[in-house]
Amino acid sequence: MADKELKALHQGLINTVNKGDYASASRGLSSLKIALLQRNALIPSPTTPLATLLHARDILEIGALTSIHQTDDAAFSRYYSQLQPFYEDPRLSTPKTASMNRSKITGLHLLLLLSRNDIADFHTTLENLEAPEDDPFIKHPIMLERWLMEGSYDKVWNATKSSQVPSEEYAHFSQVLVGTIRNEIASCWEKAYASLPISNAKNLIFLDSEGAVIQFAKEKRWEVKDGRVYFPVEETEKEALASGTIIENSIGYAHELETIV
Amino acid sequence: MVDKRSLRSNKRSDSGSSGNKKSGDSSKLAKSSTKKAAASKKAGSSSSPKEEIPPVENGAEDIEMKDDAEVTTPTAGKRTEKSEKPGDEDVDMSDGKEGDRKEEDPVVVAINEIKENFTLLERAVSLFDARFTLRVLRSLSSLRRRLNPEILSKVVAETYPGDHPSSRRLTAAIGSSASGMDLDSPSEGSKDGGVLLPEIDIYLHLLVQIYLLDQKNLETGASFSTELVQIIHSLNRRTLDSLAAKVYFYYSRVHELLPPPAITEIRPQLLASLRTATLRKDIDTQATLITLLLRNYLQTSHITQADHLVSKTLFPESAANNLIARYQYYLGRIRAIQLDYTAAHNELVGAIRKAPQTAAAAGFVQAANKLNIIVELLMGDIPERSIFREPRLEKSLHAYFLLVQAVRIGELDSFFDTLNTHAETFKKDGTYSLILRLRQNVIKTGIRMMSLSYSKISLRDICVRLRLDSEESAEYIVAKAIRDGVIEATLNHEKGYMQSKELLDVYATQEPQEAFHERIMFCMSLHNDSVKAMRFPMNQHRLELKNAQEARERERELAKEIQDGDIDDDDAGGEFEGM
Repeated sequence: MADKELKALHQGLINTVNKGDYASASRGLSSLKIALLQRNALIPSPTTPLATLLHARDILEIGALTSIHQTDDAAFSRYYSQLQPFYEDPRLSTPKTASMNRSKITGLHLLLLLSRNDIADFHTTLENLEAPEDDPFIKHPIMLERWLMEGSYDKVWNATKSSQVPSEEYAHFSQVLVGTIRNEIASCWEKAYASLPISNAKNLIFLDSEGAVIQFAKEKRWEVKDGRVYFPVEETEKEALASGTIIENSIGYAHELETIV
Repeated sequence: MVDKRSLRSNKRSDSGSSGNKKSGDSSKLAKSSTKKAAASKKAGSSSSPKEEIPPVENGAEDIEMKDDAEVTTPTAGKRTEKSEKPGDEDVDMSDGKEGDRKEEDPVVVAINEIKENFTLLERAVSLFDARFTLRVLRSLSSLRRRLNPEILSKVVAETYPGDHPSSRRLTAAIGSSASGMDLDSPSEGSKDGGVLLPEIDIYLHLLVQIYLLDQKNLETGASFSTELVQIIHSLNRRTLDSLAAKVYFYYSRVHELLPPPAITEIRPQLLASLRTATLRKDIDTQATLITLLLRNYLQTSHITQADHLVSKTLFPESAANNLIARYQYYLGRIRAIQLDYTAAHNELVGAIRKAPQTAAAAGFVQAANKLNIIVELLMGDIPERSIFREPRLEKSLHAYFLLVQAVRIGELDSFFDTLNTHAETFKKDGTYSLILRLRQNVIKTGIRMMSLSYSKISLRDICVRLRLDSEESAEYIVAKAIRDGVIEATLNHEKGYMQSKELLDVYATQEPQEAFHERIMFCMSLHNDSVKAMRFPMNQHRLELKNAQEARERERELAKEIQDGDIDDDDAGGEFEGM
């Protein structure tokens, strides 16, 4: 009987999500999570019946996707952590019971880490996956990371267009990523170019109008003159000896020598 | 009373077993490399325990590293290749050296050897000295190859009084083909005085455990090990520590060989044992368990958990060298995955340096070197060529050698060729995902080569040379390389070329000083590590004090004699040496 109640709530949640009403879905989720807790299913334990666990996993997955739609990164991370024991449970990873959404959620998690520039965690998560490149959901963040690292920003830009992302949830990160690559490109420009024509800069930094470029240049405190953007010339590095470190090192050596002799 | 008994048994073993000892030694000789052989020969010829100590300890490490080689080699194929090598050597050498001893029944020899180890264990307990236990453990690897049900069941029957629970468990595990054991068991059992030391009990269990593992009888081995671990967990004796560490080692090994869920199922037990070992300051077990847990986590790629374990535990500094090496290897692996290449490099260099140079540890050294090569490449360094020439590494590092060449030249094509042809090798070694990260390094090297060779080159040419998809990508990539300090150059967008800046004089910068500093720090830490790694015999300083006092007395005498005026040079020289 209790399971029927859970099932009904679950079905209701699916309906609200399908309607796209994420605000009420997240309200429904909190009551569902309490219901799961009462059935001892929020964390998979050997005693919980399999059917309840499958419900629990599905609900948590919906919760994760809902929090993405609401751009609540912290909530998504929580859901992701809660889902991990479900994915690790051998009972829940047989071909019949394996989750359809697992790679999607993992991919979103990777993207979140990437947008936070948490590359170490990104690779740690990646190490956990088998054959990551075969899955379109996982491949997307992997390729993004690779392009970001080598500097193919035009490819990142193309990939973040809505037609290229594997599912609608991924598009939520596009904005963040575009901001990231713009900043990256800007920092590269400062070093690599003396000046750039505004018309070229517009295309290179993926902005819509030249006005936006000028706005962007102002934010970065670049000089705009005669239709060109001039980057501040770097002050020549001081050749003065870093006396502090030298003294520190020498004292260190002296100290070590003293202990040896 | 216990002391008396153990003393008596010591005497018995010293006088009665010299013949057997020799045979044991000769097999040890055969096992270890020539350098070690000299050491163990010394151990065999000298009968006083004091002189025996240093080789004993070396030997114990020897064994451990053998296990290491077996465990840290990720591939089954390579393991057999490696373990066969020392095996072959063994046969050849023992043919030459044992020669005349062949008529002796190997069963009797083995049984005597096991019995002899009992007396050593008794001595370890009565003198509370772990060195005797280590000596017993050293003989494991030579004994291991000779074990068979006949030997084991005979020993079990002769050791335990008839209805001892361990006896039943052991015979059940051996699968007892020998049914005639009941004949002499009552008399022999009672002779040992009824009270059986837990150390001997555990030692026999350990032998059976290893036997089951060697017979690939994994199911039985796993359940037997689980039972055994529970027994050990309930015992609290410091003289049991090194034996317990071994038991845990094989416990984990057996479960590792079983199909997947088994490996995660032992984690709670290992963690519980680690807690107990830490509380009891049981350093051997503690260090073994930490490495086992790390290995366990890494095998299922639970990097985060492994990292948490490292941050929450303190690895005992006084642990055996090989355990430290193993720990450093795992730590290096974790750090490499977390992109902390400098830390990974430090740990791996430490691991390689600490690993013993015997053939038995080749697998470990190979694995550590493979990882180290990748980490060095990721750091932007090119590993030294001499690594690839070392005979014991050459073959297994071949794929890595090709990889290094591709990265060094900066050609994406040959990089991916190597990656694809040797993908299986890299995946087996667990370095594949790390190697994938090298792609950007290859591109950077390519750009760097071009910037060094041309003072001005068009973006189109760069694009063609690096086989990039578009000129646009090339521009971004070069711009990023400039920002990251890979090259010194400027870009001209309208005309589409890259202009290299004049090369800086490196010696005018901080660079040489930093390189110098790094080397000094390395030497310092090497020195400090060596000081820490030195072993000092117990109570040696008291001996020195005594010597000093004697010397002082002699000096006084000397002074007196000088005063008396009757001393010649020879005497003075002699006295001086004595000081």
